Amino acid sequence: MAKPMSKVSEAQLIPISFTLNGRLQEIEVQPHELLLDVVRERLGLTGAKRSCDVQVCGACTLLVDGRPVSACTTLAFEVRGRSVLTIEGLAENGKLHPLQQAFIDHGGFQCGFCTPGMILAAKALLDENPDPSEAELKHFMHGNICRCTGYKKIIESIMAAAKTMRSGG
Amino acid sequence: MLRRFRLEEPESVSEVSELLGRFGDSAKIYAGGTELLLAMKEGLVQYERLINVKKLKCKDVALESGQVAIGALCTHHELETSQAIKENLPAFANLEHNVANVRVRQVGTIGGNLCFAEPHADPGTLLIALDAKMIAEKSSSTREIAAEKFFSDAFETALEPDEVLTKIVIPAPAKSARSAYLKFGYLERPSVGVAVAFNSNGQISSMRIAVGCAGPAPRRVQEAEALFEGKSKDDAERNLAEAGLLAGRAAEAISDLHGSQEYKEHIVGVLLKRAFLSALS
Amino acid sequence: MEFQKEVKIRAPREKVWRFIWDVDRFIACVPGCKEAKTIEEGKRYAATMVEKVGPFKVEFPTNIEVLEREEMTRIKAQASGADNKIGSRMKLDLDVNLRDEGDKTVLGFVAGVDILGKLAALGHGIIKRKADQVLDEFAQAVKKQLEGDS
Repeated sequence: MAKPMSKVSEAQLIPISFTLNGRLQEIEVQPHELLLDVVRERLGLTGAKRSCDVQVCGACTLLVDGRPVSACTTLAFEVRGRSVLTIEGLAENGKLHPLQQAFIDHGGFQCGFCTPGMILAAKALLDENPDPSEAELKHFMHGNICRCTGYKKIIESIMAAAKTMRSGG
Repeated sequence: MLRRFRLEEPESVSEVSELLGRFGDSAKIYAGGTELLLAMKEGLVQYERLINVKKLKCKDVALESGQVAIGALCTHHELETSQAIKENLPAFANLEHNVANVRVRQVGTIGGNLCFAEPHADPGTLLIALDAKMIAEKSSSTREIAAEKFFSDAFETALEPDEVLTKIVIPAPAKSARSAYLKFGYLERPSVGVAVAFNSNGQISSMRIAVGCAGPAPRRVQEAEALFEGKSKDDAERNLAEAGLLAGRAAEAISDLHGSQEYKEHIVGVLLKRAFLSALS
Repeated sequence: MEFQKEVKIRAPREKVWRFIWDVDRFIACVPGCKEAKTIEEGKRYAATMVEKVGPFKVEFPTNIEVLEREEMTRIKAQASGADNKIGSRMKLDLDVNLRDEGDKTVLGFVAGVDILGKLAALGHGIIKRKADQVLDEFAQAVKKQLEGDS
């Protein structure tokens, strides 16, 4: 059964409803809007970065329903009915998430540009696998690139956070 | 910023097929978007309409009559974690586990990967070795396309303009079946991929070899397969070097940023040997 | 990217030479080439090149200039075009030569092709294969045209 075809020239607005860092958002987006632009420009959350813009570096990583996606290559309307987590939503009531604390304690960042994406990806890893081996950690985090640290401190930070989280910290 | 397009969200394969027929080149199927959106961002392609197919019911992994049937909309992540695939097609589960990166695996679909037919991709190569069949549907008909006939050229498949890939069907391997896929690359995408699948029952039989990434499309290498058929493991091993040469040449490798033609041909030989030995062990 | 092609045609050299300058029939042999126009007889021509690699399509309005001409023997030409939608430019240096071989004419050409801009992102290898295909088809089409009507 064919639906009436709309003209291409009319702007198509898609109402989307989703939770952002635990709070309900209701906005309208056009089909071609990218999630990264909506989050940064319209919602003012600039933790996620546009870096490579081709979904390989991970600096734009956001968690959608707890899973990592490249916001630079995700159409905004795709988050309708889902939960979105940005780095700004990680700390609760002013208390840093164990991952954030571990990155500070273990020097897991230098310039900090890759860090929001790095931490969110690490959160997704630990939510899926609370006690990863180093090989499992490296495989999961393979798509998050850092130009500063050489990765050793990042691995240490994530392992330390994992330990803290396993003991209920 | 992407150029503006209209989003269509059909709920049946018929509708998708009908939209493709009606709008031709100005419309494109959109699933995970991990390849399509990149090309659109680069400005290499533009469409008036994107046809979001994610409402279609093509997301199951099922074991039916000795075959593993995979819905085209399954994401790489769903495939790498699927019990049915890990048990019946461990080489394929392993391949899916290593596609791109965790974010691409999260949203990229097997159907989208196969239909975009990027030369530097993994799944097609192993699916050829596993003798998979692609199920292509349109409003009026359904047909099967053998994996080895599915990829016609770089970015080109055997699908007709109004056909939709809905399922991939792989024969469930016998107890004596062995398979392996190995890839090599140092850029973001793989440069060379080699897949083997065979029966090992004292003798090697039903050998299938496929090479991908090095040339414009993954292809089966029947010339090299003959060197293994009916051979003992030791004899087969002795033929590895020659098989590697044949497979390398068959890869239609081109010199580019991924490596020179000679280098890629050499790597094909190396991966073929390693894949064969790894499948045996 | 450099290409070299040669095709043996069962037709006398004069006939092949005349065919080359019959712009409409000649252009019809170039795959993807349409709307050929003569701007200055023997010197300048225009055409539109349309090529497709999978979903990637380019349309180059192309200007062709004949630089050198040696009657019945050799033509040196240059073609250039730009696809502004995609942001790509094409440049072609063409050397066409004819020689006798028994009762046949050998039509050879050396082509230097440069693709600049976004299209190059597709990968050097893919563009090279496509250009090779186009030149092959072209050579075969010329041969067929000339041998067909004897």
